[in-house]
Amino acid sequence: MAALSLSASAGEALVLGLATGPVCLATCGPVVVPWMLVQPQGVRGHGRQLFLFLAARLAGYLVFACAVWLVGSAIPHALPQSWTGRSWLMGGIQLLLAAAMVVYAVGWPHRRCAAAKTADALVQIGETSVPKRSGALALGFLTGINLCPPFLVAGFRAAQLAHLSAALLFFLCFFAGTAIWFFPFLSLGFLKRTPEVIIVARMVAILLACWYGFSGISILIERTFHG
Amino acid sequence: MASRSSALARPPAFRGIGRSILLTLPIALWSLLMFMPSFQHAGRDRHISALLVILFMTTLFFLMMRTGETYRWRRIFFVAMGFLFPFGFIAALVAERGTMSIPISRMVSGDTPFCFMVTPSLLLPAAFARTIIFPGSILPTASNPHSIAAMIGVWFAMTLILGKAWCSYACFFGGIEEGFAAFPKRRRLHRFITRFGAYLRLIPWAILVFVVLASAALFEPVYCMWLCPFKAVTEFPAVRNVTTAVQMGIFVALFVGLVVVLPYLTKKRTQCGFFCPFGAFQSLFNKINLFEIRFDREKCVDCTLCQTSCPTVALSKESIREGKTLLNCMKCGACVDACKKDAAVWHLKGTPVAVKPERARLLFLYGAWALATMMGGSILANSVATMVHWLPWK
Repeated sequence: MAALSLSASAGEALVLGLATGPVCLATCGPVVVPWMLVQPQGVRGHGRQLFLFLAARLAGYLVFACAVWLVGSAIPHALPQSWTGRSWLMGGIQLLLAAAMVVYAVGWPHRRCAAAKTADALVQIGETSVPKRSGALALGFLTGINLCPPFLVAGFRAAQLAHLSAALLFFLCFFAGTAIWFFPFLSLGFLKRTPEVIIVARMVAILLACWYGFSGISILIERTFHG
Repeated sequence: MASRSSALARPPAFRGIGRSILLTLPIALWSLLMFMPSFQHAGRDRHISALLVILFMTTLFFLMMRTGETYRWRRIFFVAMGFLFPFGFIAALVAERGTMSIPISRMVSGDTPFCFMVTPSLLLPAAFARTIIFPGSILPTASNPHSIAAMIGVWFAMTLILGKAWCSYACFFGGIEEGFAAFPKRRRLHRFITRFGAYLRLIPWAILVFVVLASAALFEPVYCMWLCPFKAVTEFPAVRNVTTAVQMGIFVALFVGLVVVLPYLTKKRTQCGFFCPFGAFQSLFNKINLFEIRFDREKCVDCTLCQTSCPTVALSKESIREGKTLLNCMKCGACVDACKKDAAVWHLKGTPVAVKPERARLLFLYGAWALATMMGGSILANSVATMVHWLPWK
């Protein structure tokens, strides 16, 4: 009977992940697209980066699953109202995402990347960063614990489960459902890497960092002044 | 300055009066056809405005034919449309609502007039969630004739014919900065633009990607909500809290900076060239458009007059060496008019370069001016009718 219940909740998580995948895609897309575009051309390299990103995202999911399960038994049903730290967490994650976008997608000068040699037509401002594993891992983990709507739905459901293992399985299946939606990002590997594409991707990363930064600061200010 | 120098280089009359009138006749007939309903139904204000606009558009086209210049005469129309559009639009808003700001009730009821600028932001949410993330109605209503379907239909039809020339013949915002860019005699910040032009012209692409991704993530038209400089002179969400105050601050800052100050300093269309994401989106249609500007390398002496005259930095030394413009060329004709050696020419794709370029120019101008009369003419007529209505001696 317990096994049946476990498989039912796993199925529910998978369906929830598949159904809310487009929302995950829209929420994580702003982070994934510029990150992928600054990578050298090629589906293989992109596949590696996407794998690292998703692995770190899964780690974020499982950490969150543990957290919601642990607090789940201690809190009443209305989690958002009772848990005052939610806004602080959201604001903090947004600010960390902003910092990570600047550091990893834009990067400080590193050794020259063959795919990003500046054309004669362009003025050299700074060298392009080489592909870094830590970038995909950091961005994946931060988007993994970012409290997007489908993620919160899954969190509520996981908090109601009886065992930690069930909560972890629930999030694992939820992750599998959403991860399928990320595979179209591999097609970015086919896009020709001209210097212009890489510069545009870096500009997008800066704009997104501003957006996440503004969003994070707004949440924190609202929390501070309005309680 | 560019057009003045080209006027010196060319003979005073490019074409005879009779031939010019003959070539202008189709546009005159088209204009009459466009404004026929104004004469049949509306009041005297509408009759006067329609007559003035027909004369205005036909005269400008005649001058294009007569002088052989495009940019100077197109700019008069474009600046007039740019400055008169907010006038007519704001007057209509104030008459209807009593304010320029959009009340939340109008947004909820889907009564916000649709603007073509938001089109790229709609694509991902429409594809994935079958949702239009704009508070407007799909089909025209009595209170909101500027519906989403109508505006996208008009834009798409015009884009197929004009490509990115939409930005210099149909966009009712670009004329404002072109007007401010036309005022000063001296060009400032020229060295900065030349040095960093290669980066500056990539910014609209970055903003386009950002706006499309952020709109899909937030499920709201991010450009309209946060980044549109022209909200400052059209309509905007009512300022009721800190967020809307910040939005309004951004709109005003962008408008003053990109549409007034920088065009005045640089004599360039800085908002169009270095900011507008819709312009970047529109550039993609230059790939499939039939008309383009090319350079006859046998005549070109690399004087870079064309590059200096380009209002949106759509030319680089490399592109001129290749005999082409960059993807963001909006076919305004400034480079062709500036070229003293007649090396810059209008070109119909699939035909030999610099062979009968005037024929390519004529074909392009007939399409462009017909659409400019249809879209810009109606905007002009509406604004002129409002002015006539307010005349003190009436």
